[in-house]
Amino acid sequence: MARTGLKLHLISDFNLETLGHYLVNSEMGPQLSVSAAPFGQVFPALLQPQHVEGTDFALVWTSPQKIVPGFTDALNHVAVSDERLLAEVHQFADCLRESYKHFRAVFVVTWTLPLHQRGDGILNLKGQGLRKRLLKMNLELAEQLQDCAGIYLLDGQRWMEMVGKSAYSPKLWYLTKTPFHADVFRYAAADVKAAISAVLGASRKLVVVDLDNTLWGGVVGDLGWQNLRLGGHDYLGEAYLDFQRALKSLRNRGILLAIASKNEESVALEALAKHPEMLLRVEDFAAHRINWNDKAANVADLVAELNLGLQSVVFIDDSPVERARVREALPEVYVPEWPDDRTLFASQLLEMDCFDSAYATAEDGSRHQSYAAEKQRELSRKQIGSADEWLRSLGTEITIQESDEADRVRVVQLMNKTNQMNLSTRRVSEPELQAWLQHNNRKLWAFRVKDKFGDSGLTGILSLEVQSGSAQITDFVLSCRVMGRNVEHAMVAFAARYCQELGLTDLRADYLPTAKNKPCLKFWMSSGFLFDERQNRFTWPLSMPYPLPEGIKMHRPPARAGASPLSPRGTLRDSEDASLSVFTD
Amino acid sequence: MTTQGIKPLESSVKESSQDCTSHLDGVLRLIYESIAGLNVQLPEEQRIRKSLSTVLFGAGGTLDSLGLANFIVILEQKLEESYGFRVDLTEDDPFSPTTGHFRTVHSLATYVSELAARRPGGAL
Repeated sequence: MARTGLKLHLISDFNLETLGHYLVNSEMGPQLSVSAAPFGQVFPALLQPQHVEGTDFALVWTSPQKIVPGFTDALNHVAVSDERLLAEVHQFADCLRESYKHFRAVFVVTWTLPLHQRGDGILNLKGQGLRKRLLKMNLELAEQLQDCAGIYLLDGQRWMEMVGKSAYSPKLWYLTKTPFHADVFRYAAADVKAAISAVLGASRKLVVVDLDNTLWGGVVGDLGWQNLRLGGHDYLGEAYLDFQRALKSLRNRGILLAIASKNEESVALEALAKHPEMLLRVEDFAAHRINWNDKAANVADLVAELNLGLQSVVFIDDSPVERARVREALPEVYVPEWPDDRTLFASQLLEMDCFDSAYATAEDGSRHQSYAAEKQRELSRKQIGSADEWLRSLGTEITIQESDEADRVRVVQLMNKTNQMNLSTRRVSEPELQAWLQHNNRKLWAFRVKDKFGDSGLTGILSLEVQSGSAQITDFVLSCRVMGRNVEHAMVAFAARYCQELGLTDLRADYLPTAKNKPCLKFWMSSGFLFDERQNRFTWPLSMPYPLPEGIKMHRPPARAGASPLSPRGTLRDSEDASLSVFTD
Repeated sequence: MTTQGIKPLESSVKESSQDCTSHLDGVLRLIYESIAGLNVQLPEEQRIRKSLSTVLFGAGGTLDSLGLANFIVILEQKLEESYGFRVDLTEDDPFSPTTGHFRTVHSLATYVSELAARRPGGAL
């Protein structure tokens, strides 16, 4: 089992080779190299994994009766207490936490029983019923691992149900010690790859959707909004409404929605506003292009307006012609084949794994408000005309705080999801970042940005490493939501002032090019730093002050308990940072 | 799920030699479908060719024992879905070098047909 790319280590008490084949040979998702611990040695493989240096991820898939010996008694209807079962679950959870030290993320498959196992029949979910106990064990495992951000439970039961009764194969078990039909591993491989993509921050962030015969039934320009099929006592109307419901739930998860439709704008907007059963209103969409232009051009335009990359986009349209056009013109956009059967629209959307995210933060739920504020900002930019005057008018305020445990999830999420304004595109897990920060010549700050139109939350990260009188910017990350508002310059100004006060001689930033971070290069080229093209290195001599952009206020709240008190040379304490000349309070 | 275009095995074996050919074609088609199902998990250079002479298992064969076991389970499932009854392809040890049922696509198709003939009433 080998290939290129990321490395995954399989740990199991049964033969997982078939899963390895699917993971390595499937063209979908990230390319993987796969290794496997000898099966049946789960605990040693977790506690002292062999030959896993440089391995990114582990997948742990076990049988409940092997890991929780008390469950064998339960299977055999021998008396066993819940306390014993849960104590054995705790031991397993402890080992998983230990194993996490060796990997960026660990995926653990929930325990299942074969569908042919009737257990206790009608008493299955009563008293000490078998399935009730298994549910309790899975729930306890989830609770035990709740606070371990890099360990994720994958729902194995779903794979069994997708395959049905043949999911568990006694024949394969007796022949090869593989308990499941190959189809189970096919579904499992797809979910494992989706999980890895989620951890890598490769999830899609925007759904661009058509209107006629996609969001509702019928052509609004022909029928009028009163005669569209949507809701009501009509099976297709209900199906379209359910599709809107599924889109709205994505929106509530932080996925942006946008419209690309060939229509008269006023007619379509009237339908969105007036149809009594319309669940999605115009304010639910971050942007729209309703005109007669080429759809691919409209999608590209929307993406530019929302400051996203094409690789963040899913395009949904009932027309195969439009799908083919967008797929051909914008290959980075994911254009799923869409069913002709309209009753399948909602389930098709809910089944898609490209929106899976490894993190859920407060900012996710409010992302739409943030984009609504951005619309207002754009409007004011057009009204004011002069770029400088507009930037000054925003009243931007930046709050800078040294990152600590309280914001670590959001910091790691931002580092792992941001592609465009990202100097080094360093992808890290929480423990990796924690370990990196243990050195006392390193610091990392989180930047929260707000202006008169709204609060964008934690949207910037800058980290520094000091060596031999110089400071190196390791991470320079800014969410696309606040790009182009001089926040980039303010972050650099903060870093430069900080380093000046330490008496350092220069501040450097090494640009690591990727397919997606050209906007970052563009910023640094305009930053005023000296550029060494040979090394892709930007340098600022700290003998000169770096100008703070006009009209931006910088704040620093008192350090939270737990923030690192260390400074590059041990000469500057956190409390003293507040006196840096960039701060306005 | 039913495999379209395949004549039911039970009626096929009772009919003329032309029907036997059509019955064998049906078995072959299921074998090829099973190969396609298995090929998804194999690297491109190891994918199994759909041909009567393809060596499946044993010296020069493409499948290892895990691959063969997966293939057997997929084929058994397809036979059951198509003909409505279970076929046990492991009645003889499939890994034994002496049985040779899984040596080539041709020997496998013959073996499945023999199993059909052993069924009460002349069918599986």
